[in-house]
Amino acid sequence: MSFPSAPRANPLHLLAAFATGGLLSLAVFINGEAARYGGPMFSSWLAHGVGMVVSAIVLAVIWRRQRAAKAAAESEAGKAPLWAYIGGVLGAATVMLTSTAVNSPLALAGTLALGLVGQVVLSLAADFWGLLGLPKRRLGWRDGAAVLLIGGGSLVIILFGLG
Amino acid sequence: MITSAVFALVAGLLVILSRQVNGRLSLSSTPLISSFWNHCVGFVVLSALALAIGGLLPSNAGEIPWWVFTGGALGVVFVASSSWLLPRIGAVNSTLLVIAGQMVCGVVFDMLRGEPVTLWAAGLGIVMILAGMALTQRRG
Repeated sequence: MSFPSAPRANPLHLLAAFATGGLLSLAVFINGEAARYGGPMFSSWLAHGVGMVVSAIVLAVIWRRQRAAKAAAESEAGKAPLWAYIGGVLGAATVMLTSTAVNSPLALAGTLALGLVGQVVLSLAADFWGLLGLPKRRLGWRDGAAVLLIGGGSLVIILFGLG
Repeated sequence: MITSAVFALVAGLLVILSRQVNGRLSLSSTPLISSFWNHCVGFVVLSALALAIGGLLPSNAGEIPWWVFTGGALGVVFVASSSWLLPRIGAVNSTLLVIAGQMVCGVVFDMLRGEPVTLWAAGLGIVMILAGMALTQRRG
């Protein structure tokens, strides 16, 4: 089983990914409010429960199209391996780890900064080796410079910009 | 402190691992189906955990404003769009551009809410991020 190499990002991708990040910052704020009422576990449980119901409803409404798209995808990429279904387990574990770290001397800034380092390191490895059945991508100097600028800029904001 | 630092670092690794796994599932289905399974499996795991530990529902649950319940809907879009992007632009670009959006919108959002923001650092950070975003766009 092999997949084509992932192409470069174009402006549409850039916009979509940037908007996805913006959505994330809004979701983090909203889920943080839920955690103020019932703690991080309740917040994550609520977000997953609501997400499950909402996605099920949308799927039901457009099921005919989704089923056809799934059949086409399966004939191209094969059936998904069983481990492809554990994303939710990993997400649940993430919540527990971060909510523990946030309540340590690391606080929010330290937790975010270290989490960012972890994200960048594993992304580099994932592209380099094509981890978990996703396309490999050759990394060039532009990727390195983008990592330094975006990673560095984010650290400046997290460590000095907020508060 | 060391344990917490490892926790924070591993959390970052898990974010990417989860994105890769969901991205793989969407290659064999659709981004929306992948997002559904992500939330469904997470909900079952967290429910089981909550049953084991107990005390999940807060006593003041009735006072929670309606909009606090919309976080999960945003999560559905987030997971679906991440799964859509990942095979198209790769892990590094996905991670960097999503972080860029999160940081820039986060700063704007904090300013709108009247939270304290240190202007020089936020400005410098945003300029660096925008420069990095430009670099993801051209062939290297």
